[in-house]
Amino acid sequence: MNLLTVVTFVPLVGALAAALLPRDEAGQHRALALAVSLITMALSFGLWFGFDASPGAAEFQFEELRPWMPSLGVGYHVGLDGVALLLVMLTTLLVPVVILSTWQAVQDRVKEFMIAILVLEAAMIGTFAALDLILFYVFWELMLVPMYLLIGIWGGSNRLYATVKFFVYTFAASVLMLLAILFVYFNDGGTFDYVQARNALQVTSEQGRWLFLAFALAFAVKVPMFPLHTWLPDAHTEAPTAGSVILAGVMLKMGTFGFFRYAMPLFPEAALTYRPLISTLATIGIVYGALMCFVQTDMKRLVAYSSVSHLGFVMLGLMALSAEGLTGGVYQMLNHGVSTGGLFLLVGMLYERRHTRLLSDYGGLAKQVPWLATAFVVVTLSSIGLPGTNGFVGEFLILSGTFLSRLPGGQLLTVVASTGVILGAVYMLVLVEKVFYGPIRHEENRHLPDLSLREGIVMAPVILFIVVMGLMPGPFLAPAKPAVDRLVQRFQQTEARLGLPSQVGTVGTAVAARPPPSPRGAY
Amino acid sequence: MTGFPTRDFVALVPVAILASGGLLLLLTEVFLASTRRGYQAGLTVVTALLAAAAAVVQGPSGAVFGGQATVDAFSSFVTVIICGGVALSALMSAGWLHARDAERGEFYALTLFAASGMALVGMASDLLVAFVAIEIMSLSTYSLAAYIRRGRRPSEAAFKYMILGAVSSALLLYGSSLVFGATGTTLFSALHGAKGAGSMLLVGGLGLIASGLAFKVGAVPFHAWTPDVYEGAPTPVTAFMAAGVKTAAFALLARLFLAAQVGAEVHDLSFEKVLVVLAVLTMVFGNLLALPQRSVKRMLAYSSIGHAGYLLVGVISARVEGARSMALAGVLFYLAAYTATVIGAFAVVGALEERTRGDEEGKAPWDLSRFSGLASRRPGLAFAMTVFLLSLAGVPPTAGFIGKLFLFKAAVGAQLVPLAVVGLLTSILGAFYYLRVVVHMYMKPAEGSDETVAAPAMVFALGLAALVVVLFGLAAEPLLRLAQAASAVAM
Repeated sequence: MNLLTVVTFVPLVGALAAALLPRDEAGQHRALALAVSLITMALSFGLWFGFDASPGAAEFQFEELRPWMPSLGVGYHVGLDGVALLLVMLTTLLVPVVILSTWQAVQDRVKEFMIAILVLEAAMIGTFAALDLILFYVFWELMLVPMYLLIGIWGGSNRLYATVKFFVYTFAASVLMLLAILFVYFNDGGTFDYVQARNALQVTSEQGRWLFLAFALAFAVKVPMFPLHTWLPDAHTEAPTAGSVILAGVMLKMGTFGFFRYAMPLFPEAALTYRPLISTLATIGIVYGALMCFVQTDMKRLVAYSSVSHLGFVMLGLMALSAEGLTGGVYQMLNHGVSTGGLFLLVGMLYERRHTRLLSDYGGLAKQVPWLATAFVVVTLSSIGLPGTNGFVGEFLILSGTFLSRLPGGQLLTVVASTGVILGAVYMLVLVEKVFYGPIRHEENRHLPDLSLREGIVMAPVILFIVVMGLMPGPFLAPAKPAVDRLVQRFQQTEARLGLPSQVGTVGTAVAARPPPSPRGAY
Repeated sequence: MTGFPTRDFVALVPVAILASGGLLLLLTEVFLASTRRGYQAGLTVVTALLAAAAAVVQGPSGAVFGGQATVDAFSSFVTVIICGGVALSALMSAGWLHARDAERGEFYALTLFAASGMALVGMASDLLVAFVAIEIMSLSTYSLAAYIRRGRRPSEAAFKYMILGAVSSALLLYGSSLVFGATGTTLFSALHGAKGAGSMLLVGGLGLIASGLAFKVGAVPFHAWTPDVYEGAPTPVTAFMAAGVKTAAFALLARLFLAAQVGAEVHDLSFEKVLVVLAVLTMVFGNLLALPQRSVKRMLAYSSIGHAGYLLVGVISARVEGARSMALAGVLFYLAAYTATVIGAFAVVGALEERTRGDEEGKAPWDLSRFSGLASRRPGLAFAMTVFLLSLAGVPPTAGFIGKLFLFKAAVGAQLVPLAVVGLLTSILGAFYYLRVVVHMYMKPAEGSDETVAAPAMVFALGLAALVVVLFGLAAEPLLRLAQAASAVAM
């Protein structure tokens, strides 16, 4: 059996098993969910070590193709390129951490909670693995349901508004993508298969632009790109910790991954047309998200807006269409998953202790909870992009990649985006200061317990990855390289075919020939 | 009119089984002890299954009775859907009627008579036969709608249904006579190439027939009866009507539309344009009007209008030779999926419904608040309802999603992208009002008393329907293939 298929469906089998366990046995449900997610993680290491990242290797590995609904032209086609591999690994590593973090936070309806998380995990892996457009759409929509339940059942006080907004926003944005998929079917010789469609798609420039917009809308809402981001602060704020972590850690990457995998390679000409618009919006998102962070009084909302800013970096890197920029974008997807996931975990731990998310209710915690404070500072530094942490590698690659790219106005955008880095440092450090330093203003804060052993185990992998990915990014960049190079090539071919002036790649061959300027480890 | 060969009558065996089952139930109601009526639902299910089996086994006979009826894979598929609907709704009726002390043989007999009419509608290929079959179906459903007249609402529903139904029958009949006047025939097969082709008489006649059928499927602007009737009729009857009448009427509409369209000389007929306008209005208003409803039953009624709109898109997509088979198969698949889904959804509504006794007006027996906290009171019921609602909203992995995919794929293939855009955009509204029920079931605390009627048979029907909905969402291929085979030979 195909390992990728196994990894995708093990969580689903686990969810079915959980459905058969009695409702009252909360402990069994927790243990089962954790065990299933750990098994999934262990199996996914097989993918990691089995993946061949050498230049001559197949584009998609662990491929499986079998008929699913041949009458409709839909196949079960899965496979991983390097970028999808990285994101699958992010998912399988994050989910056990998330489950462990809910040990005490979720006491109500544990059975349903664990089932929702496991179904969500399967859907997320499936979305990254799918190589058939309908299969992709099925997994993409399937993700919505458990997340909708997670926010709506276990969320905060305003959860109903947030969850309905989340669902309707994303559902509405995706239906036009379904239409575009159907249109692609009739213009690529009658197949929903992604690999075939990419080669055989024949559309006029105008059709291509409409199709690109339909795909881009679905992905831009998910990213979320300014000005389609308004569902995110609500969803993040009201979601339970587990929901926020998965939402920030993995689901937002669905949007950027969608651009990388579907919208850009399927419609390269349209992507070139809309590139200035998207990169400008991304830059606005960077600055806007950062500025919004300054006025937040709610910790989760602050982190949510910082996500808008960080995902803006990812989009800018993707739109640079240079090897460095794209690599940086991919790397920043992982970084954001680790660091923002970590921040939401820590905010959740604070919330469990004090049952408030308001900044003004904290202050001076560093002495009471030194370990928690240390973890928070480390994660914060990663989020800021301090050299030595993973955040630095991603942001540096994106900014230098965009600056040196042929993106029209790329240098100006880079300059503006760089202010986002500075603003990011300010608001994150202000957050740390307000929560952990200064005098203790509330008596309740005087006797808070520090990280428990379980919480320590939750945070340990996050901190480990922050440091490892910061010091030796090589192993994490290597799988992405073939996929990134292919995309750049594809765009260069498109330009050559259309006779457009060269706007893809980097300025000056000397720079382009250099390997990514990064602190190099085992690379 | 003598001398039809025996095989013509053999072709009607499924209809005969349904009708005989109905007669048998009428007899047993008289002759058997009237205290124990548990067997009646069972007998109905068995009859429906037998009829479905007969429809499958007999195979296509082609045109029978001089072309007035066509028994082909298409009509067999329709018959099987209808029989499935009968079986599911009979299973859910048993407990519902028993709890209201209203379980009688007449109810099931009427259901079976209606089903025999529906099956005939699916076979009709002559305007008069179609009319007679529709009347068999309609008269039975009028009576069913009036079956429990407790309170004002059911009486109003039944009366409204009958009056408006009579109007639509009149339109149908008048349209038929105009068509006959224009072409000298009532056979579908003779419509194209007929001498009066393109005349105003024919256009008007077909327009009237289309309006009559639009009444039956509840297409806007002929939809006004739907919410009141659906809400007022006994819930099992509503379920059966929503599934069965729609299936039969769409089968007929598809046959007629193709017969009128196929001839090149009548290709510019306004029939298609009329249907396009109907489809757009139906999708938009059906979904918009469902939005503000607080009564779940009424919401489902309005949503059934929206679904009729999607099905109209499917019928229109059959206009292009290349997309025809796909479009018809899409319509069939959608009808099958919708039957399982909507009967399941109404079954949950029926289980939760507040029992109103005598003439007292129920205080909102189907209000959203009845669903509050259902997930903690009745997790199984809430889960099943969620499956049905997701299917209605077209969220994977459910049969409803595959159905929409199929229909809109056909629409795009028939160069009807604008219609597909309208369809998909209006389905966003659907996500909103269907999910509101899920919000109440899972995310709000329970209010009021827990008065659910969930008899074993009903639970079984619910489980079966939910299973079918998920199964056809995940492993749709066998059904897709059958639907395609059924529509490839048709027309």
